[in-house]
Amino acid sequence: MDPVISVKDLTKKYKQTEAVKAINFEVEEGEIFGFLGPNGAGKSTTINMICTMLKPTSGSIMINGYDAKKEKDKVRASIGIIFQENTLDEKLTANENLMLHCRFYGVPKDKRQERIGEVLEIVDLVDERKQRVETFSGGMKRRLEIARGLLHYPKVLFLDEPTVGLDPQTRAHLWEYILKLKEKAGITMFLTTHYLDEAEISDRVAIMDQGEIIALDSPTSLKDQLGGDMIELSTEDNDQALREIEEKVEGADVSVEGDTIHLKVESSDAFISSFIKTLEIPITRLNIRKPTLNDVFLAFTGRKIGDAKE
Amino acid sequence: MEGIFAIWQRDLTKFFRDRARLIGSFSMPILFLLIFGGGMSGSMETMMAGNMPDGAESFNYVEFVFPGIVAMTLLMTSIFSAMSVIEDKDFGYMKEILVSPISRVSIAIGKMLGAATIATIQGILLFFLIPFLGISYSIMALIQVIPFMFLLGCALSGLGLLFASVIRSTQGFQLTVQILVMPMIFLSGALFPVSNMPAWMDVIVKINPVTYGVDVMKKLMIEVDNIPAAVSEAMGLNITVLGREVTMFAEVLFIAGFAAVLVLFATFSFQRANA
Repeated sequence: MDPVISVKDLTKKYKQTEAVKAINFEVEEGEIFGFLGPNGAGKSTTINMICTMLKPTSGSIMINGYDAKKEKDKVRASIGIIFQENTLDEKLTANENLMLHCRFYGVPKDKRQERIGEVLEIVDLVDERKQRVETFSGGMKRRLEIARGLLHYPKVLFLDEPTVGLDPQTRAHLWEYILKLKEKAGITMFLTTHYLDEAEISDRVAIMDQGEIIALDSPTSLKDQLGGDMIELSTEDNDQALREIEEKVEGADVSVEGDTIHLKVESSDAFISSFIKTLEIPITRLNIRKPTLNDVFLAFTGRKIGDAKE
Repeated sequence: MEGIFAIWQRDLTKFFRDRARLIGSFSMPILFLLIFGGGMSGSMETMMAGNMPDGAESFNYVEFVFPGIVAMTLLMTSIFSAMSVIEDKDFGYMKEILVSPISRVSIAIGKMLGAATIATIQGILLFFLIPFLGISYSIMALIQVIPFMFLLGCALSGLGLLFASVIRSTQGFQLTVQILVMPMIFLSGALFPVSNMPAWMDVIVKINPVTYGVDVMKKLMIEVDNIPAAVSEAMGLNITVLGREVTMFAEVLFIAGFAAVLVLFATFSFQRANA
């Protein structure tokens, strides 16, 4: 099957800078594609070009078999977009917002009410149909936007930081809806998020940094590439502990962050019991964990996702 | 087509929901009617009477100024309604419109028709003040002038869309519009005759599209054929451009062309917009 999104040598140059440097990737039909990167990495520029909102300097983008440069209207009809910021008309009711969307996208007249009911069902907003959007909570607005994005049965749904600004509980809820959507509709999703734990649900993840895609694989293989387990420990004297570790552990992969020492080992099970015995400095805190996407991100970009570039 | 209608209907729904705006937009024309109609009519009529010994009694300043104030209302409402484009950008809704497959020309036309409809409704509402002003127009004249009001509304909304595409903030828009709108009204013949102006001011009068809008409104509402030529002259109803008298047909054509050019400008600006 042809990929639903195919990006080739996509480049965007501004006067001074090259925001996107000849990137290539493909998104398969039905997958959740995570698109990660620190602020200023070129993520938004890339998404805006794919969504026909920004003209690429060079390179090609094919979506659902259409050229994003030449067949803008067909590309626009093939995608649904949930923007980072609210793009609902708050003075109108939920129903009115959805109805306008149907009309913008040419949903047949006799199907409109039925589809609106259908998408409101998915996001649990059936009872709020006649209410004005300004009375909605942040989470409800997001859900309504997701419902709206689905109305015209897009091939790809773009979710740009869909949970930004929501409380953790609402965030978790929203992901349930999104996963339900994937199961029900089998829709392809293109996702960006700052919360790397949320990106774990992706089938594949691309990491972008300084205008380039520096890693692209499934979250599991990316984590496997890092190899081994992460040991985090604090001691009474970290400087002394560091010297000891470097002396006693051969080829130790150590880093320090705040008052925590991070130690990467191939397999913690065999290592840890002997390690604890060899260390003379008393350990105050110890944590062993498998690598997360955060570690992957850190390893590839050399910084955490929250650290802005500037 | 569906897209144009959807955009038009949205702006109208929002207009009727915003009571404060409905009432607020009435205060200005009523204020002008009070000041110019009530306060100035005496002195204006005396001045006119001094200029022309015969026929002066048939000059009624309120009758003269009313179509001008309707045109002024059209101008203000059209331009301020076009500000919805900036508001839509600020509140994010413009993105929803721009990423949809609606053609950009439909967006421009929808926005223009929306603003023009709102302006025309406001203008028609002013008609209900006619009985209280001690003036009268024939019903036919009022019915005839409505389609023209809509056309003028389209042209002036187009102007508003042009401003909105250049100016990014609502504050900036309001300021710029206020600086531009006042001279456009004063130098259009809406409130007083613009004959016998200094040459440089005359040039502004002649390039001001509102001048022709006001002129057509007056010609349609005040039955020009029934008033003495001298009065018509004094009221500034015989506009000449480069020595030639301008016909009403030419004026309507000019305004229609003006609207068409501006809708193209607006389309272009929506094409370039990245929201």
